[in-house]
Amino acid sequence: MERKQLLSHDGKTLAALYGALPVSLRSSTNRFRNALMYSSAYLALIAMAEVVVVSVILDLPPTPAALVVGLTVFAIYANDRLADADTDALSNPGQAAFVRRHREVLYVLASIAYGVAVALSVLGGPLALGITLLPGVCWVWYATDWIPGGGGHARRLKDVFLVNTIVVALAWAVTLTFLPLAFADAAVTGTTLFVFVYFFLRVFTNTEIPNVRDVEGDRAIGVSTLPVVFGVDRTRHILTGIDLSTAGLVIAAVSAGYLTPILAVPLLAGLTYSLGVTAFVGRYENERLLARAAECEYLVVFAALVVAVAV
Amino acid sequence: MLLVTVAIGTAAALLAWRERPEPGAVPLVALLAGQCLWSAFLVFDLQASTLDAKLFWANVRWIGVVAIPVAWVFFSLEYTGRDRYVQPRYVALLSIVPAITVALALADSSLLYTDSSLVSENGALYLTRDPGPWFWVIAAYTYLLGLLGALPLLELIWHDSRPFRGQSAALLVGILAPWTANALFLAGAIPVPGLDPTPVGFAISGVAYLGALTRFQLFGASPSPTPRARRLLFEQLPDGAIVIDAHDVIVDINESGAAILGTSRRSALGQPIRVVAPESVLVQTDDPTAEQRGVTGRHDDRLYDVTVTQITDVRDRTIGRVITFHDVSEHVRQQQRHEVLNRVFRHNIRTETNVISSYATLLADDDDRGAAAKITDSAARIELLATRAREITDVFDRAHEPADPVPLESLLEDALAPVREEYPDARIECDPVDDVHVDGVLEPVFTNLVENGIEHDPSPEADATVRIAVETADDGDRVRVHVTDDGPGIDGYEQTILERGAETPLEHSSGLGLWLAKWGTEIAGGAVSFDTDGRHGTTVIVEVPVLTPPRSTDD
Repeated sequence: MERKQLLSHDGKTLAALYGALPVSLRSSTNRFRNALMYSSAYLALIAMAEVVVVSVILDLPPTPAALVVGLTVFAIYANDRLADADTDALSNPGQAAFVRRHREVLYVLASIAYGVAVALSVLGGPLALGITLLPGVCWVWYATDWIPGGGGHARRLKDVFLVNTIVVALAWAVTLTFLPLAFADAAVTGTTLFVFVYFFLRVFTNTEIPNVRDVEGDRAIGVSTLPVVFGVDRTRHILTGIDLSTAGLVIAAVSAGYLTPILAVPLLAGLTYSLGVTAFVGRYENERLLARAAECEYLVVFAALVVAVAV
Repeated sequence: MLLVTVAIGTAAALLAWRERPEPGAVPLVALLAGQCLWSAFLVFDLQASTLDAKLFWANVRWIGVVAIPVAWVFFSLEYTGRDRYVQPRYVALLSIVPAITVALALADSSLLYTDSSLVSENGALYLTRDPGPWFWVIAAYTYLLGLLGALPLLELIWHDSRPFRGQSAALLVGILAPWTANALFLAGAIPVPGLDPTPVGFAISGVAYLGALTRFQLFGASPSPTPRARRLLFEQLPDGAIVIDAHDVIVDINESGAAILGTSRRSALGQPIRVVAPESVLVQTDDPTAEQRGVTGRHDDRLYDVTVTQITDVRDRTIGRVITFHDVSEHVRQQQRHEVLNRVFRHNIRTETNVISSYATLLADDDDRGAAAKITDSAARIELLATRAREITDVFDRAHEPADPVPLESLLEDALAPVREEYPDARIECDPVDDVHVDGVLEPVFTNLVENGIEHDPSPEADATVRIAVETADDGDRVRVHVTDDGPGIDGYEQTILERGAETPLEHSSGLGLWLAKWGTEIAGGAVSFDTDGRHGTTVIVEVPVLTPPRSTDD
């Protein structure tokens, strides 16, 4: 009788455990997802995918460049989120809370990540080191009032209209294009220049889309962005124009022989995806999701590229 | 290993960068950047396959090499609170030799290296160079700055604060590791010719600096305010302070000290003490055991107590003295007032009241005897007040003397004897007393409390009763003496004034007896409390510490 009760009790415990398992699993998944999204780790993965895309387009051998870019992106964006934690509290409270809660760990991880990235870049030679240091220098320049030799309270580049987006787009385009090139010790060709312009335009678009979400916060702290200056509707038109221009650039590159048609297809697929996302700018309430969707354009390109190469 | 050096150095530099404007953060970033640059350029040197390429990287490496000692010195100065030396002109001054070195390196001057060649070792090409005269100049300069930077940190190794000891130890390990590696290289103790292992030592440096930053809160707990605080204390001390060296020359003086000597800081510094100080000070500096301790200011009439303290080195040799001037003018005036008042209470008032009583008795005729008695009673009360006041001054005098342990039993006997003599019909009951010692200052306290109990009892003297009970605490550290009377109790108003500890012209106590009890008990290290229920009189509780009996002469 006692044994039966015990078994019955055990059965209840097991049932409770099984019942709790999905909750626990869901909680762990949520924590992992938050860590991935809020810490900028997902951006590091996207950046690594972009380096793979560049390496394939430029026909470069595998190098540590993807790892260097991933670590650098994680470090720079984690630092950026730490610096903007207070202003993000209005536009992105979940991320701001996560960053504040893990401030110390995030800063130490970002520092170590950047240290490892710089060390690995030394293997790629002086150019690779310079390129890896560039985003770090830009970050200091971009996010703080401290300008070497300025000696005064110079206006933050982040606050100047278009300069903020251009600096970000340039840093990304230079890193994504020239770092794999430096590691492979390859020469600059017409295809290289095409890749550079392509990524500059893509990053420009993807940097301005989140600004639609932050328009109120940016206006409050005096940061000039496209949506702040031109309004949301005109921003959508401008970004659509940039997408179409990029598509024209891809077609021109194929015509000029800088790009094979098979490699142009994934890029055009990504642009089609981007046009779709851009069409929702100002028309879709969940602007944060829209910004994330825009950042995932490179994953679409990566997936299409894998399919294209496999075919 | 070189890549590990770069990774750790960069991470530590970023962590230090975040700590700006904490003292030492920026120089530490510069130091770590120099280490990373040196290591990275060494990798490029090792990767290069031609003599020209290797020479280029070896030469530009000097930018990182020379940045390290300069940054190290300024880090050490700023971190230990000597930030007055961390100014652009000093940075520029210390950077002259490094700048010349970089210029010579970039010009590939023979002053730095007389010859350069490639050697093959285990299939790898290494650059070997013969040092020129300037190489030894910059080497000596680097080691000198390394030593200068280490000295302030060495002071912290023996600091009382554990974090500061940990920080300084980690920082010294950080500088010693590459230093040792470099010394071995310069001494030719490295088996691979042309391979300078100094950057390998930077890996240990990086770990040490990271440890200092994270484990020992390098910028979280900083010793930098300490020297400034000590300086501030010296300069703003209300007492005059003069530091003289072994040759009696004034090496430091604060504003108060200069004002007392009637001079200025600028004029006094570097002067022999004999030139600026009065002779009376010199007597005491020459003979610290001299009797005379007070001097008068040169430009005021204030009196100063002079203290001379020897400054000794680690071998107990006198290397100077600190002379301090403490203004005792007010204290001396109080002392004088006290002595005069004491004489008035002890002598003059008693004499005058005796005269009043005598003449009142002489003038009284049979019909007017009552008025004469009133005058005599009033004179007696004045004399009593004077006696109380004198007892109070005596009690305060004893506050400056060491405690005088006496057996409580004999103290109570002595305290009660005059009361029994004055009120022979009153009943004074004293319970058995424990064998404990208390401060002798309590004798007038108990005399007054018992007297007070009898005086304020409205019943005839024969019925007035005062009981004394003694209770020793369980641990034997304190003793409580309960003095209970049958009177109407002490007015709450009187108790409030006593507890507040101050009187005003409008709110004051009716006499001096309770004040005497309060002050005497406090001087004995205890406290007075009251227990009044309004029906069974008042209990005054005197709680004082038990003292250790003095050793008898037989011991």
